[in-house]
Amino acid sequence: MTDISMDIARPEPKFRLDLTSDAARARIRSRYRAETRFKAYGIAALTVTALFLAVLMFDILRNGLPAFWQHSLLLDVPVAADIVDPAGKREAGAIKGADYFPLMRNALNAAIPGIESRSASKQLTRVLSVGAPDRLRDMLVADPSLIGKTIKVPLLLSDDADLYYKGAGTGIDDRAGRGTATPSGRTGEITVLTSSNDFAEELQNIKLRLKSVADTISRDAGRIERSGPDQAQRVASMRAEVANLANRYQQPGNAEALDSKVPSVLVAINGGLVKATRLDASGITGDVLLPLKSAEEAKPGTWKVVHYSTPESDRKVTDQEVAFLERLREAGAVDRHFNWRFFTTGDSREPELAGIRGALTGTALTLLVTLLLCLPIGVMAAVYLEEFAPKNRWTDVVEVNINNLAAVPSIVFGLLGLAVFLNFFGLPRSAPLVGGLVLALLVLPTIIIAARAALKAVPPSIKEAALGVGASHQQAVFHHVLPLAMPGIMTGTIIGMAHALGETAPLLMIGMVAFIVDVPTAFTDAATVLPVQIYLWSDLPEPAFQSKTAAAIVVLLAFLFLMNGAAIWLRKKFERRW
Amino acid sequence: MDMSTVEHAMLTPSATSAPASGTKVTARACNVYYGEKHALKDVSVDIPERSITAFIGPSGCGKSTFLRCINRMNDTIASCRVTGKIEIDGQDIYDPALDVVQLRARVGMVFQKPNPFPKSIYENVAYGPRIHGIAKSKSDLDEVVISSLEKAGLLKEVKDRLNDSGTGLSGGQQQRLCIARAIAVSPEVILMDEPCSALDPIATAKVEELMDELKANYTIIIVTHSMQQAARVSQRTAFFHLGNLVEVGDTRQIFTNPKEQRTQDYITGRFG
Ligand SMILES: Nc1ncnc2c1ncn2[C@@H]1O[C@H](COP(=O)(O)OP(=O)(O)OP(=O)(O)O)[C@@H](O)[C@H]1O
Ligand SMILES: [Mg+2]
Repeated sequence: MTDISMDIARPEPKFRLDLTSDAARARIRSRYRAETRFKAYGIAALTVTALFLAVLMFDILRNGLPAFWQHSLLLDVPVAADIVDPAGKREAGAIKGADYFPLMRNALNAAIPGIESRSASKQLTRVLSVGAPDRLRDMLVADPSLIGKTIKVPLLLSDDADLYYKGAGTGIDDRAGRGTATPSGRTGEITVLTSSNDFAEELQNIKLRLKSVADTISRDAGRIERSGPDQAQRVASMRAEVANLANRYQQPGNAEALDSKVPSVLVAINGGLVKATRLDASGITGDVLLPLKSAEEAKPGTWKVVHYSTPESDRKVTDQEVAFLERLREAGAVDRHFNWRFFTTGDSREPELAGIRGALTGTALTLLVTLLLCLPIGVMAAVYLEEFAPKNRWTDVVEVNINNLAAVPSIVFGLLGLAVFLNFFGLPRSAPLVGGLVLALLVLPTIIIAARAALKAVPPSIKEAALGVGASHQQAVFHHVLPLAMPGIMTGTIIGMAHALGETAPLLMIGMVAFIVDVPTAFTDAATVLPVQIYLWSDLPEPAFQSKTAAAIVVLLAFLFLMNGAAIWLRKKFERRW
Repeated sequence: MDMSTVEHAMLTPSATSAPASGTKVTARACNVYYGEKHALKDVSVDIPERSITAFIGPSGCGKSTFLRCINRMNDTIASCRVTGKIEIDGQDIYDPALDVVQLRARVGMVFQKPNPFPKSIYENVAYGPRIHGIAKSKSDLDEVVISSLEKAGLLKEVKDRLNDSGTGLSGGQQQRLCIARAIAVSPEVILMDEPCSALDPIATAKVEELMDELKANYTIIIVTHSMQQAARVSQRTAFFHLGNLVEVGDTRQIFTNPKEQRTQDYITGRFG
């Protein structure tokens, strides 16, 4: 075999490796180009993905994180025994059932004295949440000896007040008055006149705005006129309006009324605050928001012109409320604290009282049902199909259909659950039990597929080794193959459960979308789950609920990351090399 | 023609024959099919007790296939079909009444690639005895494990780390661990499919030494590609070619004076 003579001239081979010609160099260059291009595509794709992700995360966190904080008023509340416990028996039921509203009102009135008008005092109490007395009530029930004393308790603020302190209110700026200001009274509607033209600038702003409004109307009128003669009457009335406005802005000295569409102008004088409803260059007419200490004239520099830069109609808090809230902030009564309530209470119509405890518990119960069903059934099905089932047409059909099921849209499982579990078996609506069953249907194919892949990945030599020492097929599978596949199965299961955790559509079908205040305690209680809670909140008009929505998304994402992290950890920890 | 050769070889034990006290495994007209493929053709052979029999032959000739027939490992291959008769101690192992799991406990196997369980060394050896209820107590089990490791010549190297993973051992140590695992259930026959193919010469020598000791108590059948190994360790040698058993006889006779031209060609390296 090795006797090929070396001295026979080797014929020129027909096919030769060519590394030096121009064509070869061109080939190498084009290969390098292709590789660079491919790398660039990859990096570009990654960058775009990372960018989207970053924007998404940033937006969610920006909206959601503030909701984890909450503001309360730390006020001295005199706990009057005749209000809290008129019978004087100090029994928990009576204390719980008492009307705490008067106490709250008294505490507020003590903090901001001198509010007389009904509307103002109504707005003052509106600063507090309807759940504000909860904490006080709990304290009194726990310790009735506090009744009759004055105690400092945090009183929860309403959602709008809370948002105001979170920066969703208005910009506030002020400047010192140049002239001497003379208020005409201490409360009610008063005038404040100044010796210099302190309000000329505000007046000019208003006139400019009138002019721009007039211009817009006149432009619109022109357009309508050009489009045809049939709206002549409307055009005429618009023209009249323009003339009227022009009349107003062309006379710079005229007093003008302020409405809620322009930035508010206020005067802080003698320890009180007056909101201008009408102003000219040297004076305002307005409503007192915070009573003045006296009606004496104020020297230049001791009083201020204040602007709330966001027009009143563009914010959730009125000027009166802004005045109260600012006053309370100055008094140091505002306390910012972590929003534990968000995690300890169920849903509520009041955003500041709403929490995700109900949804979290519902999610936990639902996922528990899913896991208890899916894991054993899925693993056993996978073991049977992979290790024991005869390989014939039927098992092929089963296999194909399992793969098909994994791709069925989840809403279909919801409909199935509605038809089978609710209508046929008559299980309770909105219950974690049914939710769990439906999600189990959804996750089962995923788990079976993952488990089969994990079982397949165990090298056959391990099974042969077990068979070789006289283990039965079943022993070999359950003693060796299955334990070795377990990390893979767990990973698949966790990812399946994470999928179930974020699932919304099928649960809507079985009625887990109801407004439920109580935290569920059993598998058959009405409940909702986290993603559905997010869906519900996202639909509500209150801005505070938008923030809650984002916060709930943060919690959901945190759980998802946690679960996926656990899957990765399991994979890393139990990864084996054979 | 094969049949006649085999019968002839079997019926005329040479003077140098090992003291075969009796026949342990008997195969008659054994055929194996993988689906349509006829992998083993009409093999009949007797394998003597308490000795080493080597199967040699070119790659793909059916040595492993035949070996796996003896502990019915071929049952695990769905497409595989076996006809003919194989007896151990006169008992038909393809008898439907026979429990295949017990058969595999009686006929141990060591595979070409070391395949310890990814568990501790102790657990590797203890697994067989445990599922067969060989050891009644923990101390009995310890004894079985220690003596199996001792017999496999591994005890000295691992006695301080019985709880370490079996997969952490070197290739040669792993193969001896697999041998220890196989003998822990005290089988009567040990099948070894190229047990040294992944080992260096020193580990090979250890395993060969071990086989030599084990043959006093066990019937050993070994598949090997190394003619030298077959010559060194075995008492009898069977040569397979293209699914046929070409020749079987005393090792010395096969290597010095083969009756078949094909055997001659193979052992002198003219093909294969
Ligand atoms: N599981 C199987 N399915 C189908 N054909 C198989 C299978 N196992 C082996 N064969 C075929 O049977 C024939 C004999 O294979 P076998 O493994 O017994 O050869 P061998 O003699 O052990 O070879 P080697 O020395 O390479 O291990 C080969 O042609 C092989 O292709
Ligand atoms: Mg082989």
